Amino acid sequence: MTAAWKPFLARYGTALAALVLFVFFAATARNFLAAGNLLGIAKHISHIAILGIGFSIALIVAELDLSFANVCSLAAVTTGVLIHGGHGTWLAVSAGLAVGLGFGLVNGLVVTVLKVPSLIATLAVAAIANGLAFFVTDGVSVVGRWPVGFTALGRGDLFAIPALVWWMVAVAGVAVLFLKQTRNGFRLVCTGENVEAARLAGLPVRRLKVLGLLLSGGAAGVAAVLLTASLSSAAANMAGDFLLTAIAAVMLGMTMFEPGHANIPGTLVGALTIGMLGNGLVLLGAPYYVQDICLGFIIIGSVAVSASVLTRAAFDV
Amino acid sequence: MALVGPLLELRGIGKSYGPVTALEGVDFDIGRREVIGICGDNGAGKSTLIRILSGAEQPSGGEIRVNSEAISFRSPADALARGIATTYQDLALAPRLSIAQNVFMGGELLRGPKFLGMLDHRRMRDEAALYLDRFGFADIDMGRPVSDLSGGQRQAVALARALRWKARIVIMDEPTAALGVAESRQVLELIRRLRSEGVTVIVVSHDMDDLVAVTTRVVILKKGRKVGEIETARVTSGRLGEMIMSGVVA
Repeated sequence: MTAAWKPFLARYGTALAALVLFVFFAATARNFLAAGNLLGIAKHISHIAILGIGFSIALIVAELDLSFANVCSLAAVTTGVLIHGGHGTWLAVSAGLAVGLGFGLVNGLVVTVLKVPSLIATLAVAAIANGLAFFVTDGVSVVGRWPVGFTALGRGDLFAIPALVWWMVAVAGVAVLFLKQTRNGFRLVCTGENVEAARLAGLPVRRLKVLGLLLSGGAAGVAAVLLTASLSSAAANMAGDFLLTAIAAVMLGMTMFEPGHANIPGTLVGALTIGMLGNGLVLLGAPYYVQDICLGFIIIGSVAVSASVLTRAAFDV
Repeated sequence: MALVGPLLELRGIGKSYGPVTALEGVDFDIGRREVIGICGDNGAGKSTLIRILSGAEQPSGGEIRVNSEAISFRSPADALARGIATTYQDLALAPRLSIAQNVFMGGELLRGPKFLGMLDHRRMRDEAALYLDRFGFADIDMGRPVSDLSGGQRQAVALARALRWKARIVIMDEPTAALGVAESRQVLELIRRLRSEGVTVIVVSHDMDDLVAVTTRVVILKKGRKVGEIETARVTSGRLGEMIMSGVVA
């Protein structure tokens, strides 16, 4: 391999591998290329991608948010209970978003004011959110025939493309625009790159860390509302399975485009790759547990490539 | 604002960490366009003094005056607002970010309605090129990550950021540490250029040759106290080293 290829492969190698996987499934799995199947994959991974984008933003400020799945569940049951109780769509949606943002703010304050490492702080907040979700629902799922104005958020189509896919693209687009084109987004990146340099350059690094974790919580709130709307139901542990999958998507994303660093396009491609892998394996008749095994290997392989960034996020106060 | 008299005055600056006294009763003045050196053995208090002047720490006692006005810095942002910028030994740069992004970190240029906070990338690249040009690095792509640069070029980026803040006083902590001979010369030339542009420079260094080559005066610290100061025209690097060891300035 010539030296000129190395940077290209470092940036796009994983994406190319995903492309090879796509071609493999296209050639071997029946119906894989059907438009309905491909849109189904995109729809299926939309929640994971949105949660992953939030997790990525926390990582960009060099913090870990391990609470997002439980916060998402709590926000979902909050939204579901309100809708089920006959309250308006706006109130239910606002409450779900507020829960996400509120818990993101709590994460940020615990990390920056109480100086608890984010690895521990967000695990503790996850436990609190989990407990509250069971308290709100009494452990019983909320299911019903809910107003179309609400369920359309997660079930509608636009130009034959599912609403969930549009939401995922919109959240990713806003996140990229924010991080690459705005002052506050740039400052989040600076804070994560070198917190001491950022502080000495006069940036309010504590507030920026709070903002990063707040946005991660906000993404969990958005995912919760869409999840509740698309399923017309809410349960206390409904987003629990997304924790590992979303983290795997982010880890995989960190091996491409900006190697070693969380980035939104990488997270999106990472989520699509994981979705495609799961779908292709199902179509090929592989047992369900093979997906879990693959997910484990993806995380280990990706983290081996991006270890330094994760170590900093996990163990720096 | 007084324009006669020293630009920066330190009076009885002290700093204690619990029972440990890192600095005690340090006094000196710095004039406009002066390049002053601060030297001393390990534990002399140089780093503590820099951190106080840069706003990273607050003194336990004493007074700092800029243009005869008593001031106190609660953060690096306060010191920057007062025109005092510091470049650190590790340069405090974000290696993966571009030259332009490092130069404008904390002082980003915006376009469009202010409340949107949209970055003006093109203007930041253009203006960063102008700053780097002043140090003789006009032909570097401002989009290049700082990790690709040599040590001397990184010093130029750190100094460009200081100028971007319109700093009247630039404090340089060990600016030639870990640099090769050619790069060290480049950095000393950068310091001379700063002075020629009317900037006052404080150089903290272990390298006596560098201090003699570039400063007009050297303040010597030992065990947290100022033991004396001497004009560099009157001293050799060898003699300066002896003064640091003995703590006797004569």
